[in-house]
Amino acid sequence: MKHGAGGKWYMNARNYSYELADEYNMKEYLEEQWKNMETLFIRKIMGFSSIGLGYKMQMPLIGRFLRSNAEKMIHSEKPGRNPVRADGHFGQVIPLEDAQHILGNLAAEPIIKNYCVCRWMQRGVKDAVCINFGCLSQIIPKLTRYIPVDEKWQLDREEAIAALETQNKKGYVASVWFQPVPYINAICSCESPECGGLRLRNDFGLRTVLKGEYLMTVNRDNCQGCKACVRMCQFGALRYLPSINKVIINHDKCFGCGVCRHACKNDALQLVPRESVPGQARNF
Amino acid sequence: MGKTKIKIDYKKCGPDGKMDPRECRKCLNVCDPAVFLMHPTLEEHPDPYNPEKWVVTPVWPDVCTSCGKCVSSCPVEAIKVSPGESLYKMRMHG
Repeated sequence: MKHGAGGKWYMNARNYSYELADEYNMKEYLEEQWKNMETLFIRKIMGFSSIGLGYKMQMPLIGRFLRSNAEKMIHSEKPGRNPVRADGHFGQVIPLEDAQHILGNLAAEPIIKNYCVCRWMQRGVKDAVCINFGCLSQIIPKLTRYIPVDEKWQLDREEAIAALETQNKKGYVASVWFQPVPYINAICSCESPECGGLRLRNDFGLRTVLKGEYLMTVNRDNCQGCKACVRMCQFGALRYLPSINKVIINHDKCFGCGVCRHACKNDALQLVPRESVPGQARNF
Repeated sequence: MGKTKIKIDYKKCGPDGKMDPRECRKCLNVCDPAVFLMHPTLEEHPDPYNPEKWVVTPVWPDVCTSCGKCVSSCPVEAIKVSPGESLYKMRMHG
C-alpha cells in the first residue's frame, strides 16, 4: 500500500493541488462519485451489493472473497477506477491540530462546508460539518440538498479552522479523506455508527478509515475520575472504573482523534505519537 | 437462529406510497445502530444531480438488535422486523 500506511501522507502539499487533480482527471471522477454517493451501498458490485455485508462476510468462502475485493477497491490506486463504487476512497482520523494545519496551509481554495452525506442518509439529519475543498467544492454546490440553508457555507481559511474547532469540541471526530487516493479534498467531522466509513471499519473490519498517527494516554496521577471524557469517545475506548476512581483506555479501540481532551479539566489526557506505544506502532 | 430480516413495504413508503422518506425520516432517527439508509432509487433521474425519487433500505440488518423502535415509529406501518442473530451475537457465540 503506497498511501495511508502511516508517515502522515496527509501533510504532503502535492496531494491537495489542482495540478494533481488535473493529472488524474479527478474532476470527472468526483462528479460521478458525488452524483451517486447515496446509492454506493445499494448497487451491485461483482454481483453483490453491500446490503447485509456483515452477514455476507461471515460466509466461509464468499466472505473471504468479498473482504479481499472490498479492501482492494477501497485502496485502489490503479488507473480506470470506478467512481460509482468509490474506488480509492478512504480516510484517516486526525487530531484537531493536524486538521487545522491542513485547512490553514494545504487545502486548495475554495473551501466550503456542507451537510454531511452520511448523517443525512443514515440518521436523517442535516448537519453542516463537512469541510470540502479543491475541485470537490466546485461540484458539491450542484447537489443542492447538501448546501446549508441560512448559514454561511463558503468559508475562508480562518472560518474553516474555527468551524472545525467548534465541531471537534462538540464531540465529532476529524478525518481527512482521499477521493480518490492520492487526491485529498475533504475533512469530515464524523460520528459513529452513521458515518459510512466508520460503519465499515468498526462493525465489519474493513480499512475505510485508518486510525490516527497518535494515541491517547491517561495520566493516572492527574485523573480525578470525573468521567467527563468517557462520553466524548465515539469508539467506546474509554471507561470509568469506580474501584480506582480513574478512567482507563483501550488502545486497540482508540483512534487517536483527541476529542476526549476537550472534556478534561485536569490535564490527564495526552496525545502521544502512535509509534511511541510499542504494540500499536503500525496498528492503523 | 437465523439472520435478522427487515422488510419495508414500498407501497406505503417511497415514491409510490403516501410517504416521502425525505419528509419523514423517523426510522432513521430512532435506530440506535443506524440500520437504515435513505437513497435515490437506482432508476435514471431527470436531473441526476438532484434526484426526486427516494426510498429507505434496511442496509445493515446485521447490526440490528431487534428493539422494534422502527416498527412502532413508522407512521405508515411500512416496516416489519423478523428478529434473528446479529453479527455481534454470531461473533460471540459462533
